[in-house]
Amino acid sequence: MPSTYTILWRLLRGQRLRYAFALGCLAFAILLAYAVPLVGGVTLDHALGGKPAVASSPLLAAILRLLGGADFLRAHLWLAPVAMVALSALAGGFNYLKGWQVSLASDGIARRLKNELYEHINHLPARHLDRVDTGDLVQRCTSDVETTRQFLAVQVTEIGQAVILAATALPLLLALDAPMTLVSFSLVGPLVAYGYVYFRRVRHAFKAVDEAEGALTGVIQENLTGIRVVRAFARQEHEIARFAGPNAAFRDRNLRLLRLMSWYWSISDFVALSQLGLVLLVGARSIAHGTLSVGVLFTFLAYLGIMLWPVRQMGRILTELGKTTVAVGRIHEILSVPREPEPPDNPFLTAAPLGGALTVRDLRFGHAADRHALDGISFEVRPGETLAILGPSGAGKSTLMHLLLRLYDYEQGSIRLDGRELSSLPRAWVRRQLGVVLQEPFLFARTLRDNLRLGRGDAPDHEIEEAARAACIHDTITSFPDGYGTLIGERGITLSGGQRQRVALARAILKRPPILLLDDALSAVDGETEALILDALRQRRGQATTLVIAHRLSTLAHADRVIVLDHGRVIQSGTHAELSVQEGLYRRLWEIQTSVQTDLQRELRAT
Amino acid sequence: MSAPAYQQEDEFHSRLDTGLWWQLFRRALRLKRHLVPLAVAAVLIAVCDASFAHITRWVIDGVVRDGANANFTAYAAAYLAATLTLCVCVWTFIEAAGNISNRLAHDIRRDGFAKLQSLEFAYYDSRPVGWLITRLTGDCDRLARVIAWGLLDIVWGTSYVIMIAASLLWMNWRLALIVLAVVPPLALVSKFYQRRMLLSAREVRRHNSQITAAFNESIQGVRTTKTLVRERENLAEFERLSTNMFDAAVVSARQNAVYFPIVTTLGSLAAGLALWRGGVLALGDGITLGTLVAFINFAGQFFNPINQMAQKLTELQGAQAAGERVMGLLATEPAIQDSPAVRARIAEANSTAPSDPAHAFDGGDANIHTIEFRDVTFAYASGPVVLDHFNLVVRAGETIALVGPSGGGKSTLVSLVCRFYEPTSGQILINGVDYRERALGWLQARLGIVLQTPHLFKGTVRENIRYGRLAATDAEVEQAARLVNAHEFIMQLENGYETPVGEGGNRLSAGQRQLVSFARALIADPQLFIMDEATSSIDTETEQLIQRGLETIFAGRISFVVAHRLSTIRRADRILVIAKGRIEESGTHEELLARRGHYHDLYTSQFRRERQEAALDAV
Repeated sequence: MPSTYTILWRLLRGQRLRYAFALGCLAFAILLAYAVPLVGGVTLDHALGGKPAVASSPLLAAILRLLGGADFLRAHLWLAPVAMVALSALAGGFNYLKGWQVSLASDGIARRLKNELYEHINHLPARHLDRVDTGDLVQRCTSDVETTRQFLAVQVTEIGQAVILAATALPLLLALDAPMTLVSFSLVGPLVAYGYVYFRRVRHAFKAVDEAEGALTGVIQENLTGIRVVRAFARQEHEIARFAGPNAAFRDRNLRLLRLMSWYWSISDFVALSQLGLVLLVGARSIAHGTLSVGVLFTFLAYLGIMLWPVRQMGRILTELGKTTVAVGRIHEILSVPREPEPPDNPFLTAAPLGGALTVRDLRFGHAADRHALDGISFEVRPGETLAILGPSGAGKSTLMHLLLRLYDYEQGSIRLDGRELSSLPRAWVRRQLGVVLQEPFLFARTLRDNLRLGRGDAPDHEIEEAARAACIHDTITSFPDGYGTLIGERGITLSGGQRQRVALARAILKRPPILLLDDALSAVDGETEALILDALRQRRGQATTLVIAHRLSTLAHADRVIVLDHGRVIQSGTHAELSVQEGLYRRLWEIQTSVQTDLQRELRAT
Repeated sequence: MSAPAYQQEDEFHSRLDTGLWWQLFRRALRLKRHLVPLAVAAVLIAVCDASFAHITRWVIDGVVRDGANANFTAYAAAYLAATLTLCVCVWTFIEAAGNISNRLAHDIRRDGFAKLQSLEFAYYDSRPVGWLITRLTGDCDRLARVIAWGLLDIVWGTSYVIMIAASLLWMNWRLALIVLAVVPPLALVSKFYQRRMLLSAREVRRHNSQITAAFNESIQGVRTTKTLVRERENLAEFERLSTNMFDAAVVSARQNAVYFPIVTTLGSLAAGLALWRGGVLALGDGITLGTLVAFINFAGQFFNPINQMAQKLTELQGAQAAGERVMGLLATEPAIQDSPAVRARIAEANSTAPSDPAHAFDGGDANIHTIEFRDVTFAYASGPVVLDHFNLVVRAGETIALVGPSGGGKSTLVSLVCRFYEPTSGQILINGVDYRERALGWLQARLGIVLQTPHLFKGTVRENIRYGRLAATDAEVEQAARLVNAHEFIMQLENGYETPVGEGGNRLSAGQRQLVSFARALIADPQLFIMDEATSSIDTETEQLIQRGLETIFAGRISFVVAHRLSTIRRADRILVIAKGRIEESGTHEELLARRGHYHDLYTSQFRRERQEAALDAV
């Protein structure tokens, strides 16, 4: 992995000029802010008789000239406050520009990063996505991006500010009085070093608080999700007692961190105030000995006041860098996963509509855990034909669907669509030819109409309703107060499993794909409704080649042909008529169907 | 469709609800041990802060007047004393405010958690777990923080402003009045911008949560996106969201960027005024140079306390919604709890008789002999009627199977028996007494429940089984496990009974979790045993293990079994077919089959399904 700094530098791409501009504004703002006490100092010394030092500093003399000379200034004393306010306002203007530009840059980078992550995740291979933890991935795309943005917005300017403050104060103060400058900076170095060492050392206390908070939230979550169990055993008292531990631990760890903080802030306050006191007393001595003027001392004290706060923050900022390093690394990890490969050479023209012929030959495929999910299967589906696939769980049915959708890439064997090898076709094109409904379909948190339209954005309303009718969901939808405009998901209504399946089916029907894949897609729909849906599909038959994974005999019977899959192989295949007379799983299932009545009679007679 | 109350964004309260904050403040008052040092430290810091400008004045005037004869030792001593006092006070206030904040959060959280333990399920039905967690974590912390640090800043800020104003007036009241003229606009500007900044920051957070939701959805729905070839459209939609957030963030940043220049310029104005009018005075020997410097210094210091106070007041307003939610939770009265009469009886029974095994702690019968539903009607909140004038009598030792279509009222019936809900009208009688006249704890301590999706707690297998009876010995835990045929699989686990089950039990398979939950229910030796779809989502093998243990479990107890597995149903003494909130059919398995009604149809289709599943599995 490239270093954090390399990645951060690359992130700045396109915004570097803006950052340079912002830092320039910051420098101007600081210079102007420094000029304010200078005006005060000059006025004090030259206009008001603060006994200017024997060799009055050339800087103050220059400013005095700018203000029209001592006598003029004394006569027009209002000039000083006007200059101070004007300088302040001008400094404020530059500060505002800086804040605005830094936000444009850092929020712009954050936006680009989020867009990039979003797009990248949508193009990751399904095999990779099978393994990821959604929560962790979301965390990286949001919190880690936010940490990075914070660094780019806040810490970068804070570091810039501290550096510019010190770098500009140093020559200014040196020009005013060299020995006093030495005194003024004597404790600044130790202050930064103390902060850095300190925050490095208390990191474990921060971590302990985070962990305690995690534990606390964990206990609350466990209790609330298991509240039925708690009540079932009347364990309220026990739970309250159990909660006391983590609750107290969180409090105590916070207090321990706070104790460390109170030491840090009081000691660093002491150092900072000592620095100011040192300057005051040494300065006063110098004034007494006639080597320093009141105005210069005033200026020194004012500068230290401006500088000390950002300097005290440096230690914390430097430790924050560690967090950013971690965040940037975690983001980079996602972006460096290669996307789904596209076939390199692709002369395919999408003009001709697909006929819908599907040929699978000797197809083999295996995951790491399951070497032979598909162990050489072959079958053929003619355009417009309905093929049902039957088999126990783990037989390889869903894997087959994934391969057809090019979610997984097969390495051995062949799948041909209208005679063209699937792996040579663009994924997006292949997926457009297939309509798919899964057993647990995913619906998006938007309106029902928008969900149905996902497959074909330009579908007119009457076609949406037609598709919903075919999937037997139209009546349910119109029973909602908002009809097709009903929002689903957390902020809307919750659909039952069967309703979700039917919405997904309508979505697939609306897409009008040449090939329809139903992966146990009606398992949560009751038998009666299923029959209606199958009827509707039958009426549409001829429009689409259909592959159905199913367990119900009624579904199987509706197919033109049935293949029986087991352990990644086709063990039986044929029409309903053929399989009914063949010894095997299919016939056994039908026998059960008809024999149940007789068995029941026998049972009844026996009792 | 308007979102339910719990989903609405925090609104900003322009008026402080003094009653609410007083309530919270009263809780803080209990922490006197920390409250007093907090106040003392806050005032002392204000004094020290102000004293530095005085010391500077004193030093400058001294050296200007006396030159090298000035009393430098006294200066150093005064400065050191102020510095040390300040540092000690800083240490004290961080400690005090931290203690108040964390202890307050701890106490509110403790009370809130305890309250949640007593609230009825109906309360949970309308509030997602995530929402409740935020109340007990983020909201509690935020409230306590706002109170503790707000208190500190308001005491400190007020004292500091008073100190500065008093110093100025004391040094030269005419000049002081000129400088003080800057304070009201400073306060107004601060309050105005603090509020705007809070609102715009909240707007950014709102956009941010939309982005989080979008990421979440896109990751969970990525296969759907791929199969619908929606990558480009989704990205375009997402870019709209991220651009909205970008715009909001820039607006927020600009507001922050404009606030500080305005207030620092106001500060410069005050200092400039002091320099000008003070300078005129100094020229006429009206004030010393040191006083002039002090005036300029003080004039520049108003900004800090006023800014802090404006910020804390704004935060207080911003946290008001959180305060209302948390205090609302604490004030909620459980809808299902012991009536005053029952509580009086419990107190009486405990004070008089030495414990008698035949009597429960509320003075009533210790054992359950009969349960009767008398004309019970029930509806969830304002929803449709789920149980409709329902009647049923069950005697000790009986096993009742409940079958019928989903939504027919089976699970509701069970929840009513457990008194997780109470009838909307009608009565449920236990031993002939309305169960609302008995202690809730008495009934619920006699329950054993196994749900469809068993919930295990983090911890070991042993701890989870023992949850049913906390006093159970190791041998009893193992005996319970043996009775439900869980012992064998437990012994095959890495550490046997000491194996951690993981979060929600996720290190065990669904079937293993269910076996553990059976053992947990059995060890409680319940008088009332409930199985709610307990065998519907587990594999056949586990199901057979459970079947073999059921005989022991059912013996001598009243059992209610919601099930569709035939082997479980057939075991029941009585089968009730429940549909549309009523009993459609009732009788033994044989009687109902012979009737050839609903049960016959249900049974036939289930029989078919189970045999076909078996055939598929057997391949």
